[in-house]
Amino acid sequence: MASVELKSLTKRFGRHQVVDRLDLSIEDGEFVTLLGPSGCGKTTLLRMIAGLETPDGGDIIIGGRRYNFLPAQRRNLAMVFQSYALFPHMSVRRNILFGLKLKKISAALMEEKLAWVVNLLALGGLEDRLPVQISGGQRQRVALARALVLDPDVLLLDEPLSNLDAALRETAIEELKHIHNVVGKTIIYVTHNQIEAMTMSQRIALINNGRIEQYDTPKRIYDHPSTVFTAQFIGSPPMNFFDGQIVIAGKGSAIETPIGSLKMKRDRTAQIQSMAGNNVLVGIRPHNIYFVNHVAQRRHTDTIVELSIELVENMGDRSLIIGKSADGTAVRFMVNRDEEWHPGRKMSVCVDGRCIHLFDPSLRLNIFSRDDTI
Amino acid sequence: MDRTVSIASPMAFSKRLLWIAGIALGLLFVLGPVYLLVKYSISDIASINTGGKPVPVWPVHPTFDVYRYLFSDHQFYSVLGNSLFIALLTVLCSMVLGVPAAYVLGRYAIPGRRIFLLAIISVRLFPDIASVIPIVEFFIRIGAHQTYWGVILAHTLLALPYVIFIGMSAFEGVPRELEEQSRVMGANRFQSFRSILLPLAVPGLAAAAIYTFLLSWDEFIFVYFLTFGRQEMFTLTLYLNGLRYAEPQNLLAATSVCLSIPVVVFSMAVQRYMITGISAGSVK
Repeated sequence: MASVELKSLTKRFGRHQVVDRLDLSIEDGEFVTLLGPSGCGKTTLLRMIAGLETPDGGDIIIGGRRYNFLPAQRRNLAMVFQSYALFPHMSVRRNILFGLKLKKISAALMEEKLAWVVNLLALGGLEDRLPVQISGGQRQRVALARALVLDPDVLLLDEPLSNLDAALRETAIEELKHIHNVVGKTIIYVTHNQIEAMTMSQRIALINNGRIEQYDTPKRIYDHPSTVFTAQFIGSPPMNFFDGQIVIAGKGSAIETPIGSLKMKRDRTAQIQSMAGNNVLVGIRPHNIYFVNHVAQRRHTDTIVELSIELVENMGDRSLIIGKSADGTAVRFMVNRDEEWHPGRKMSVCVDGRCIHLFDPSLRLNIFSRDDTI
Repeated sequence: MDRTVSIASPMAFSKRLLWIAGIALGLLFVLGPVYLLVKYSISDIASINTGGKPVPVWPVHPTFDVYRYLFSDHQFYSVLGNSLFIALLTVLCSMVLGVPAAYVLGRYAIPGRRIFLLAIISVRLFPDIASVIPIVEFFIRIGAHQTYWGVILAHTLLALPYVIFIGMSAFEGVPRELEEQSRVMGANRFQSFRSILLPLAVPGLAAAAIYTFLLSWDEFIFVYFLTFGRQEMFTLTLYLNGLRYAEPQNLLAATSVCLSIPVVVFSMAVQRYMITGISAGSVK
């Protein structure tokens, strides 16, 4: 086990800057996800840590040791590829033992380790099968077993669940969490799937254009996106964005937007007092806009907005509605499916004034400080 | 209605007939000489020297006498031995030289890769009969003329482009991630090559080896010039050449059959790999 420290790490492919002076610090035993859209540099980052790519600048420090130019085979790491990369000509047993054989450990210890990992990942009975003779989920577990059996300092996982169907993926997520609890290894997990990132990791490093947008716990990254990119990327369905202007009236504050003047939570006034009249980018998550039948259920921070329904998307337990305000601005929000909604109908919804995100339109940064939780 | 089943329709019938005729004609061209070869090799003298009467379609008294003669002739064993020796050593040399080259050219973006590949294939751009004279002259100067290693070197030269190109596509067919995975698991470059890449490339490499064997086994022009005047070094193809005007033709036919059998057997065995090898290379 070991901590991982990346300092000003840089990688170029030709003229394309894939990883750009990136700093990241991962604690010993931590489960960290590198999350980002395709081509953001997250896989390249992982490959540099693994030793499959050489950095063009900066440092990779694992367990206090500088790893920059150490060849892959001499770093005590393990990696699971998206394709699992099982050796097709070797049985499950030989796949799992491949790394141990290279370490020249005793046959007895090898059998012991094999038994441990076969038990941990429920691979009993499959030892003599070839990779083509087992299912996708089993292949994924063999790939994981092959990595864990090496007792690596850091476990690197490159989208290991993306080839599984939805049901299997759920199981695999549980399993990975369980394994992390059991073995307590430092895990670096690459994915573009925010649900995987949210459910499994202790911290998420959101990467965009080779740089870290935000590095935080899943809860904080969701509740307090520090940049516009984070706010747009995290959360499904995506956040609503409106142009707005800060208005201060006595002790209260509001944001003037195309869908109306939105009340803000009172204790926020102090922070935005000095910005009265400034233009801001307003972000509201679809689930912070809700439909309430009874006036009594409304909070004093809620703002009522009149919308006409454009589109209703059934999402199973809830429905997503895309409505239009009087001036034609689209608003996405969620409703329970108890009630039937049809396009063309009018409805009044409440915007929760406690959950309004404000961003500086030119810096693209959250106006509220990081420590100010919503 | 499934049109392919309705043989009764006159259009389909005439079309079908045309197909069958075409295939039959093709087979006649391909198999006719093979038939003649086999027929002559088991013919008795009376079926060859008919004294003006038409040659029978099948020998009157089929006999394996000429094979018996061939297999009791010590010169036949000597040329068979030469052919085998040269072909096997050619396989060894071209694999030892060609496989590492194929690995590097197939796996790494080395500078000048395209030029290398062009240079390698350029050996095969000239007809053998055009390149044989300068090569033999060069071999005379370096003392490789009338030597076994000279012939093996020449055959290796001819086979290398095939070994490299077939080998390259064999290596390219192995996903890079498998190699990377083995590296992360602690294998150095050589261990990774030996235990992952090589076993997975074996079908393609075996095809290259067999192809090389057949190329050397079949080769005439180079071995003719390089062993000129040294009868004890002759290979099967040269032995066959010596029988060109021999009468009756049954000895010639039997020798040809012996020369052809390994070619037919191996070609059938590797054709699958050859096709996949070539198509894998062309997709890149």
